[in-house]
Amino acid sequence: MVKPKAMVDEDQCLSCGGCVSVCPQDAITLKNLIAFVDVDKCTSCKICVNTCPIGAISLEVV
Amino acid sequence: MDYDVVVVGAGPAGSVTARFAAENGSKVLMIDRRAEVGVPVLCGEGISQRIDKWGMLEGTKWIASVMDGAKIYAPDGTLVTLSKEMAGNETGYVVNRDLFDKELARQAGKAGVDIQLRTEATGLLKDKAGKISGVKARTYDDEIEITADIVVGADGVESWIGKWAGIATTLKPYDLETCIQYTLSNIDYHSDYAEFYLGKKIAPGGYVWVFPKGDGVFNVGIGILASLSEPAMAKQLLDSFIKNHPVFKKGTCLRVLTGAAPVAKPVETVRDNLVLVGDAARHVDPITGGGLTTALEGGKLAGEIIGKCVKDQMFDKDSLFEYETLWKQAFGQKLLRDYLVKDIMLGFDDKTLNMLADSLKDYKFEEFSTLSLVKALVLKHPTLLMKLKPLIRLSEKTK
Repeated sequence: MVKPKAMVDEDQCLSCGGCVSVCPQDAITLKNLIAFVDVDKCTSCKICVNTCPIGAISLEVV
Repeated sequence: MDYDVVVVGAGPAGSVTARFAAENGSKVLMIDRRAEVGVPVLCGEGISQRIDKWGMLEGTKWIASVMDGAKIYAPDGTLVTLSKEMAGNETGYVVNRDLFDKELARQAGKAGVDIQLRTEATGLLKDKAGKISGVKARTYDDEIEITADIVVGADGVESWIGKWAGIATTLKPYDLETCIQYTLSNIDYHSDYAEFYLGKKIAPGGYVWVFPKGDGVFNVGIGILASLSEPAMAKQLLDSFIKNHPVFKKGTCLRVLTGAAPVAKPVETVRDNLVLVGDAARHVDPITGGGLTTALEGGKLAGEIIGKCVKDQMFDKDSLFEYETLWKQAFGQKLLRDYLVKDIMLGFDDKTLNMLADSLKDYKFEEFSTLSLVKALVLKHPTLLMKLKPLIRLSEKTK
């Protein structure tokens, strides 16, 4: 089974960096001020999904 | 070396550090990934007027309004009013953060700091001996290397410079407030107070704030503890707060911004050839989530010590450690104590907060002392004594 990974809705992200600071895998960076998830590092823990104040991150099958 | 010091991040902590390092004789470059200093704003924009004494900012363009104090609303609506003197670090001025940051960067430039925008640090440079010797960066499409004896991480809540240097800066969700704020205009309401609304249903592990910016413009925002957050919860709760507010629901939104405030214990802030300042150093009050005053105060200390170390050509951890000693004296103890208070307060249910507010609403804060405060609280609601015991013990320990 393919594990769903954190995915960022680029049109929604307002670049606060909260998800970057709490990701236990350091899998998230801001690319051109938009959050970007390195799916190889993502362990689907959902911390970033719950942290995003506007719901711009969700778990999706890549 | 290209520079004595490279500062990563042109926010308040970066600009002040850069400025004071330059004023003390260092050759400084400050880089920022953004195209414009201070934009996007990621902040509630409240700051203590204590900054007046430090004289770091000229002019008044960066000031949006001056507040007279704070009004705190308990979950049941009980109001506690605090004068400016009692309201602490985060009330005083409401600033225009974009102009505030630009003024601090302008001062840095005036002191001789070179500033390079659209330049993002991508890693640390190390010499053959493994010592930090600058940063790798991307500027527009080019990968560049900037060599410097000291790297300053002023890169905010993300704190990559710290991570790359092996400092544990990744935050637990329990130590982060996740925030969203609207700037609302055409508000038919006058207030010279910062307003704070508490309650599990209003803002779990945080609060809603209302900061007046003048001319019918208000910042209305929310911070909730990330460990209590669910997807989009901050936005949903703020939207419902505004929808249910008789005045704010009629406002015109001019700006929406998100933010992330570390409410953690401070981290290690020096390594050989490396210094952390501001949010990157977790120099943020864990109760309020406010970090502007500590960014300025800590940045000045960092800049002065860096200047001294550059003069002496000593870049090791022991030489830079004077900065850590000084910020611990200036505000480190307070941050640590407030972290413990945050811990205790997160255990308070709404009923306890209501009782606290009911005891405090008529309390004369001029006579403020821990003992008189506790007496006032407990006289009215004796059951508060049990809830407050950890706080009393803490205040005895840290006297």
